[in-house]
This record gives sequence, structure tokens and C-alpha cells, in this order.
Amino acid sequence: MNSARDTAGSTTPLAAPSSTTSSVQMQQIVKRYGATIALNGVDFDLQAGEIHALLGENGAGKSTLMHILSGMTQPDSGTIRINNATVNIASPREARRLGIAMVHQHFTLVPAFTVQENLALDADVPLHALRYRTTEAAKPALDQAAALGWQLDPYARVEDLPVGIQQRIEIAKALATNAQWLIFDEPTAVLIGEEIEELFRVLRTLRDSGKGVVFITHKLPEVMALADRVTVLRRGQKIATAPIHEVNPTLLAQWMVGEAPKTQPLSESRQVLRPLPTTPAFRAENLTVLGDKGESILQNISFEVYPGEIFGIGGVDGNGQTELAETIVGLRTPKSGRLLWYEGEFRPGQHPRIGYIPQDRRRHGLALTMTVEENLLFEAVKEAKYRFGPFLRRAALHELAETLIREFDIRTPSAKLPASALSGGNQQKIVVARALHHRAEWIVAVNPVRGLDINATQFVHTQLLNAKQRGASIVLISTDLDELAALADRTVILSNHQMHPIDLIQRDATQIGLLLGGASTKETP
Amino acid sequence: MSLAKRLPAKPTPLYPLMRFLGIAFLYIIGFLILLVATFAVFGVAPNKALFALQQGALGGGPISPAYAISETLVRATPLLLTGLSIVVAWQTGMFSIGGDGQLLMGALTATVLAQLQHVVNPNLLIFLMLVCGTLVGALWGAIAGWLRVKRNVQEVISTIMLNYIALYLVGAAVVGPLQESSHSNPESNLLPDKLLFAHILPPSWSGGITTRLHSGVLLAFLAVPIVWLYLYRTLQGFQLRIVGQNPEAARAAGISVNQTRVRAMAISGALCGLAGVIQLLGTSERLSANFSPGWGYTAIPVALVGGLHPIGTLLSALFFGALEAGSVNAEQTLQVPASLIAIVQAAAVLAIIGVNAWRQRYPTELKD
Amino acid sequence: MSIVAGVLLGTLAETTPLLYTALGETVAQRSGVINVGLEGILLTSAFTASLATYHIGNPYIGVGIGLLTGIVFALLFGFFALVLHADQVVTGVVFNLFALGITGTLYRFLFALHDKSLITAQLPLLHHTVTILTPLSLPAVVFVWWWLYSTRSGLELRACGEQPLAADAAGISVRKTRAVALIFDGAMAGIAGAFLSVADSNTFVPNMSAGKGFIALAIVTAGRWNPIGCLVASLLFGFTNSLQFQAQTLGFDTLYRHMAATLHLTVFLHRLNLDHFPYQLFLALPYVVTMLILFGSSRSTRAPAALGRPYRKE
Repeated sequence: MNSARDTAGSTTPLAAPSSTTSSVQMQQIVKRYGATIALNGVDFDLQAGEIHALLGENGAGKSTLMHILSGMTQPDSGTIRINNATVNIASPREARRLGIAMVHQHFTLVPAFTVQENLALDADVPLHALRYRTTEAAKPALDQAAALGWQLDPYARVEDLPVGIQQRIEIAKALATNAQWLIFDEPTAVLIGEEIEELFRVLRTLRDSGKGVVFITHKLPEVMALADRVTVLRRGQKIATAPIHEVNPTLLAQWMVGEAPKTQPLSESRQVLRPLPTTPAFRAENLTVLGDKGESILQNISFEVYPGEIFGIGGVDGNGQTELAETIVGLRTPKSGRLLWYEGEFRPGQHPRIGYIPQDRRRHGLALTMTVEENLLFEAVKEAKYRFGPFLRRAALHELAETLIREFDIRTPSAKLPASALSGGNQQKIVVARALHHRAEWIVAVNPVRGLDINATQFVHTQLLNAKQRGASIVLISTDLDELAALADRTVILSNHQMHPIDLIQRDATQIGLLLGGASTKETP
Repeated sequence: MSLAKRLPAKPTPLYPLMRFLGIAFLYIIGFLILLVATFAVFGVAPNKALFALQQGALGGGPISPAYAISETLVRATPLLLTGLSIVVAWQTGMFSIGGDGQLLMGALTATVLAQLQHVVNPNLLIFLMLVCGTLVGALWGAIAGWLRVKRNVQEVISTIMLNYIALYLVGAAVVGPLQESSHSNPESNLLPDKLLFAHILPPSWSGGITTRLHSGVLLAFLAVPIVWLYLYRTLQGFQLRIVGQNPEAARAAGISVNQTRVRAMAISGALCGLAGVIQLLGTSERLSANFSPGWGYTAIPVALVGGLHPIGTLLSALFFGALEAGSVNAEQTLQVPASLIAIVQAAAVLAIIGVNAWRQRYPTELKD
Repeated sequence: MSIVAGVLLGTLAETTPLLYTALGETVAQRSGVINVGLEGILLTSAFTASLATYHIGNPYIGVGIGLLTGIVFALLFGFFALVLHADQVVTGVVFNLFALGITGTLYRFLFALHDKSLITAQLPLLHHTVTILTPLSLPAVVFVWWWLYSTRSGLELRACGEQPLAADAAGISVRKTRAVALIFDGAMAGIAGAFLSVADSNTFVPNMSAGKGFIALAIVTAGRWNPIGCLVASLLFGFTNSLQFQAQTLGFDTLYRHMAATLHLTVFLHRLNLDHFPYQLFLALPYVVTMLILFGSSRSTRAPAALGRPYRKE
């Protein structure tokens, strides 16, 4: 059992769920989006004075379930009862009236507004209020924040504030409504180190004061550390609900995934290590990268990647992964430093051939309204062999597209369908196929299997390994340390604007924990 | 739940084509219904008016078909080119409404060059006028493109401004250095015959009347396959469309979004500049203060009805041209004002916009 | 009347409709909707205001009718933009064409065809050519400022324009808020249109708005979506427009000398004979000025982040 769990001073009753104590009960909730069933008759209940973790992978239905509870969307069928009375939560306002508040994963803050304006926006003030003062409307929320020991500057613009502080504003918003039932959606996704501990402290304080807290996550150590009970969802079904002392990480992982996660087989291929060539293919020297607002992301880092190597870059989301990726594929100019390819200058597009799998496929990867075929060909069209003067060799390109669809197992009835018609996994396969097919020498993949199911994940990983076998230099940026452990030859962690080398095989948990600042890893069984 | 949400998106391969045909059909039917209704409202006998329209567009009664069809084609020409210009710009995601300005600049350039008529060989001069007019139009478009790319100025606003600037440049020219010899009208001298496009239909075909069908019309029609080839068969066109669909993805694929946008605006401007020269040399025969009756704005419904596709725009321009030719006849014989037809056109385009938007659905993404 | 006074009065006459329209559009754009159909509203309202005054005889009622026309027009636009989620720019442009057609046709059928002109009573003049609508525009500026920055409604409205998701999460109906903003937009443009036909003149002429709706759009951007900025930019346009009208009648050289003398500047251009300077270039001047303003200010201008993007509720 994880000794980091703090039970001192808590008065958790942990009785079996009873319908007579103060509680929220969701029964047989069904929700469909078009032809997909997001929730298939899920039961869930929340008691006062408990932290209830809602665990599951991407696509399990956790957020959907809580969106229904918080009034953002309506179930197709099923009932919700609060303190034994059936309720209809038709809107977020209605949820608020019933004492339910949600702190979202993607903040619903107005970036251009000040802290005060954001808090005032959320306050329940009638439109026609003649005597309206933003400061007055924001006061309850600011008081709540102060009660938790936070000092929020009311006049700061939200877009200038770091993410951890923004989350506090969201939490203050939720508390200002005097909610009895609080829902937190992946709250640690954007936090680092002490911020996570601070959040845990807040959640425990809330629980101890008698509130019911739901905590959506996919990270097992957090569940073990924080929750009183845990419910696991998988693909829209509830798999199990149990008190925390009856479970362990392996069991939870099995419930979450349906089978023991395979971290071994892929890493075998890594054992077949040839001695690395002595000349690095890619070198970054004294690289300083700035973010979009001019903030310092990475300071003076240097690293090398060798041909036939997978170089892993880990770290909590928000430590510069995207910016670094964009820099090393040539989409972002670094503030200072040099990029070299073998002995010459790094000229993306000309010298080397690049394969880029960006973080967000919908925004950066695909043109969803264009056909699957067209999306596959973004890179290929630039090659001289597919062109005849200014014209495209359509037959050859079509053949290429068909080949890629076969090779990468992209499930689509036709290559001429718009890419939007495909599932997320298959859309990602388009992006991967495009990046890998043309014997790229320099491959940068950012969270390439995020949102994919097990089979698709294995497929993509195999493709990366194939590319490695034929000598490509690959940078794999991922927030999943297991993925890095399985695939990468060397790994570094991004944190505090620096790169820190780490050995994931002989994992020194303390060291990793210190480096990541308390972010999760899946515990080895 | 609204009605729109209950319709599933149908991703079959022929979907775009079927949708276009469906829309075209709906448009024509809806248009006719609206037209008849509007006629009735304004006290015009619908059957007489429709007949007058048909006569003007296709011939019949006292109007020979050759004449009517010539009129249709001649009137369709500027709409075709300006429509294509909109298509190219909008496929890149740039909402240009600068057609009029670019057109005027093309015509202005040609008129300025025409002053060299005594020293330069006429055929060479025509060639120069076409080329330079097109280039100046391209420049006019590129300015708006550059402002968008470098200064984040919405093209809607910058193209409108450029339209007015062009309008007043022409206005100043035709009461100043380019004014006709008697200095009484705000227009230039008539261009000499040797510089004008030939009328290609022999008068015997149209009952002795010389039709206005000129060789420039062929030039305009030639633009259709060229634009189509460019957009759908070349590398630049492909990349242009990607930029229009998802600029972020285009950037990630190594496409210079800024360059592509400016280039698209330049091509768009070039098409309108060309339109200006063709109009000058084929129909108007002189530059005047009110050279354009707003082709650049009418081009928008033309392009929309054409589904933002070059071939569709051709058909659409022909339809609009026919309507114009018909309405001129209706005005002459029945005093039905052309603006009445414009109402129905606009209303019908609104209906298209509405129907399009109503059926537009993005597949909802699965939440966690 | 001295030339300077002429220029000043002309400035007021030019500025007033621009200011009303720009104020309305500022509110609309702040809520996230871009209404390119302003030109159409101006024209249609000018027509209905004139027509109403023609039949009823009371110009105040004419202004009221113009206001109502603007609202109706805006609601129609709102249907396309907010319910159908159609592209706002395209819809606005087509609305303009529609308005052009319908006002032209109606004018034709009701007046031109019968050889009548649409001449009506005019709003009473307060001082020379100034009617009550002109000074009323100043409280309008104050009102918009107060609305946007000091009221609950304004806070919610600005949220809809910046981050509609946040507004939605706070329980605000983005659609209703934007509709209200559009209604105000239409009302203001309606007043401006009525001004053109019933205050600034006593007649309606086809296409009399002459692009003012488009200039208002530029003013909103140049004024940084801020009522005070709108006031300044509108004055600038009003001034340059007024200048060129005077130059049209007097000749540029005369005008320049008078202005310079009033302002005690040296007249170093006196040597150039500018009498034959085509006045059309002055007509172009405001647009060039706008271009320069846009050129210069767009770097630091922050448009409402969600401007022009339809918001679809889940």
C-alpha cells in the first residue's frame, strides 16, 4: 500500500453506500452520441464526506458521466437522485442550485478577463441588477480562496497567470456556490510537484468538511493516495466500485484495461542494441526556446540523437514538449542556439526528410474536411517523383494512398471519404502513416498513441520500431513513462526548463518522483 | 433537440457531387417560385415576365436566339472571372470582396496603356494590356493579402477599402488626364477599333444585328479549366486548399501559410484584373466613372451558387448572365426593374446559405 | 458662413451616422458577432424612415420607423448567424445585396415610375444644419461605455465575445446575449440610416448610404472595439469627408489657404496651383487614412477572441 496516503486526522466513515445518508445516486445512465454509446447503463453514487475516484482510460466515459451530473449535458435515460429525491439536472445553473459544482479539465475561464471578472461572471447575479459591482460579485469566491490559504490577485489578467493559479480560480468559483458535491476532472494533468500536493490537501480538507468529492483520473498512484472509494469505467461500462483498501494498482489496471498491460514484449526489441554509431545525426547546441507569450520554456539545452535510436523525452504536460517538438522540426525558431544535422546545418524539409506526428491531430495533423487520401498525401506531393512539372501525378499518388491504407491498416470504406468520418484511432493512423512512409530520417512523435486503443497503440509502436531498424533517428515525446520505458533507448525528463537524463530500466522511484515533481507513473506490479 | 441534430452526416464518396446537384436543383426551383411570387407582389404578370426573361436569355419572339445567347454569354463573362476569383480566394480561407477594385485597376491600367496606341503595334498593345492589367489586379489583391498576413487585417475590410480607393483613382483619372476630348463627361475616349476585341458572330446568324459576342468571352471561358487544373491538379493548388481547410495542419506539414495566402489573393486579383481588361476591350470600350455595376459583389452569390467550385461557377455565371440578359428584356418590354430580379437572387442565395448551414454538422467527438 | 464653420458643420453631419453605426457594431462585435450587413441596414432604414415620414408627415416617427427597421433586419441576420450558424461574413454581404435590390425596387415602383420624388419633412434644425440626433450621439457613447464596462449585462456580453464556452458554463445563454447585442446594433444603424434621409437631408436617393456601413466596420477595428475609440475614429472620418466636400465646391487651393490662415500655418504649398486637383482623390483620402490606421493599429489591436465564430451548444 502506498504510504504516501495521509489518513491522519481524517474521519472517513467508509460505510458501504447507503441510500439513507446524504448522497448522490446515478442509476442506469445511458448516453449516446450518434451511433456511439458513451455510457451504457452506468451506476454511480457519491457519499458525503468521501473522495470517490472515477477511474478509466480515454474513452471510458468518465467525463461524460460527470458532465451529466453537472448539468452540461442530458442523459438519454436513467435517473439521478440526490438525498433520495429524483432530480432533473437540466443545466449547469440547475446543478448549482442542487449543490453540484464541477472544476473542468479545460478551464472555462475567459483569458482576456481579470481574475475578478471571471469570478464575477460565474456568480449568480440577475442581468438587470442595477447596482452591480464586479468586486462585490467576486467577493464570495475570493473569500473561499482566502479560506484555503490562497492569495489571488483580483486585477491580474487570467491569461497572464500560470496554469496552477488558474486552477485555483476554477476551484474558488466552484466553492463560491456553496456546493455540497464537487467534481474534479483530471485536476493534476496541468500541475507540477508541490502543486499536486497542495491540491491533495485541498481535496482532503473539502472531504473532511463533509463534502462529497469526485475525482476523475486515469492515474493509478493518485487513486491509491487520495481516494476513499474508486469506481472503474471501461468503454462506457461500469466495471467495479470498491473501497480503497480492497484494491491495489494491478487490480485497478486490470479493471481499467481489461487485461494486464504489456510493457515487456516491446522492450525486448530494445535489448537488441547494436553499438550506437559514433556520429550523432542530430545535434542541438545551447538551445533556448520561448513560448508563444515570450515566456522561457527551455533554457540552454543541448542534446544529440543518433541514427537508429529512439530518444525519449518525458515529463508532465506543459513543460515545453510541444514547443520543443516544433523547434526540432523547424516550425518554431529558437531564441538562440544551433541545430545541426550530421556536419551541416539542420534544414528541415531539404536535409533531412522529416516525419512529424504532432500532439493534436485535429488541430495540427489533419484537414478533417478533406478526404482520407488527400490527408495521406500532404507530404508526398512535395516529392519530385509524384509531380510532372507543376502538376501532380494523380494515379501514382492514388496508388500510394491505397498502399498506405493497407500497410497502416487504416479502417475506412473508401479513400475518398472525408477524414472526419473516421474514428480517432484511424485518424491518428493517417497522421502516423504520413509521417513514416517516406523513409524519413528524422522522426519526431509527440504523444503518438494518445487516445488510441491497445491494438492501435501496439501498431504505432511497431511502426516506430521499424523506422528505428532502418536507421532513422527518432524523438519520442510522451507523458507516459511506460511507453518511454518500452521504446526509448535513452530518456530525458523535461522539467524546470531543463533536460534531465534518466534511466527508466533501473528505475529509482525517488529520483523519478523528484524529477517529475510528483507526477504519476504506473507502478510496476 | 433541434431538427438539425437528428440528421446524420452521410459520408459516402459521391456525397459532395450529390449535394451540389441537389443544391443546384433546389436553387433553380426555389428561385423560380420566389420569382413568380415577387412578380405577383409587385403586380407584374408572372407568365409574361417569365416569358420576357426567357426571350432575353435564350431567344424567342422578336429576339433571335443567337442574339439572346450572345447577350447571356457577354453578361456572364465578367461574373465568371470575378466568380472564379472569389473561388480561389475563398478556397484558401480568405474572404475577399475586392473584385471591383481589382477589376477597375485592370481596366485603368489598360486605358493608360491605350494612350500608346499611336506608337505601338495594336496586337502587341492588346497583349500588353491584358498582361499588365492582370498583373496590376494581382498587385491590388496581394496588398490585401499582405495586410492580412503581416498586420492581421481582415480581408473583408481591406478589400472594401481598396475597392473605394480604386474607384476614386478611376474617377480622378477620367476627369483628369484620361478624360475624353470634349471634357464634358467623366469617361475616357472610346478606344480605337484596332484595340478592341473582334465580334465573332457574323450578323447573318442573328437576323442582321451584330451581336456583342467578342473574342474576350472565349478567353474568359478558358480560365475555367485553367483554374480547375490549378486547384485540383497542381501542388500549389493542393497546398492552397489545405491552407483553406486547416491552416494549422498546413503549417505542420511544412506549407508556408503566409506565402500561400498572399499568392491566393494575387491570383484572385489577377483574375479580376483580367476581367477588367476583357470588359474594357470587349464590351465597355471606354473607361468611365461607373465602369463596374458591382460585378465584384455579384460574384459572391455566383461563387456560392457554384458551390465554390470552378465548374460550378461556370454554370452559375451562365445562369446569372442569362438572368441579366432576360431582365434587360423584361425591363425594356414590361418595365420590370432589374433590381427586382436582384432581390430574388439575393433571397435565393440566402436560402442556399441557410440550407447549407442547416445541414452542416460536425461529428461530435467522444468525450472521455 | 466661414469656411471653417462649414467644415465643422460638415464634420458633424458626416460623423453622426458613422458614430451611431460604429457604436452599435462595437457592441455586436464585442459579443462575438460580425455584422457586415450594416450597409444594408443603413440603406433600408433610410428608405423606410423616408417613406414613413412621407406618408405620416412626422420625421420623429420616421426615425422611429428607421430604428425598428434596423432591428428587424438585425433579427433576420441573427437567425442566420445564431440559429443556423451560417458564416457571418458571407451572410452579411448577401444581406447587403438584398437590401440594395429591395430599396431600389421599391423606390422605383413607388416613386421613380410615377415620376415622383421622395421628398419629406426633415427633423427640426437646432443650429444651422444640426439636428437633435447629432448631440444625442454623445450620450450614446457614454451609454455604450457604461453598458460594456459597468453592468452585469456588459460583462456577460464581453464574455460571449471572448470565450463563449466560459459564458455557457456560467449559465449564460450565448445565443440570447448575442441576439440582444445584434438588436442594439440594428437599432443604432437604423437611427443612422434615418439620419441620412430625414435629418441630414429631406429625401431618399437609391444607394445613398454610399459605403458608410463599410467605413463603420473599419472604424470599429480602428477604434479597438471601444466606444471612445469609435468616437475618435468617426470624427476623423467625418472630418476628412467634410473636407473633401468643401474642396469639391471651393477648389482645394482656396480651402487650403483659408484653413492654413485660420491655423496660422505657413502656406508653403501656395506656389503649387492646385485648383485643378481632382476632388476624387479626396474622396479616396478617408479610405487611405483608414488603411493607414489599420496598417498601424492592427499589431496591438485585440479583437474579441471569438469574433465571427459561431458557437454551437453541445
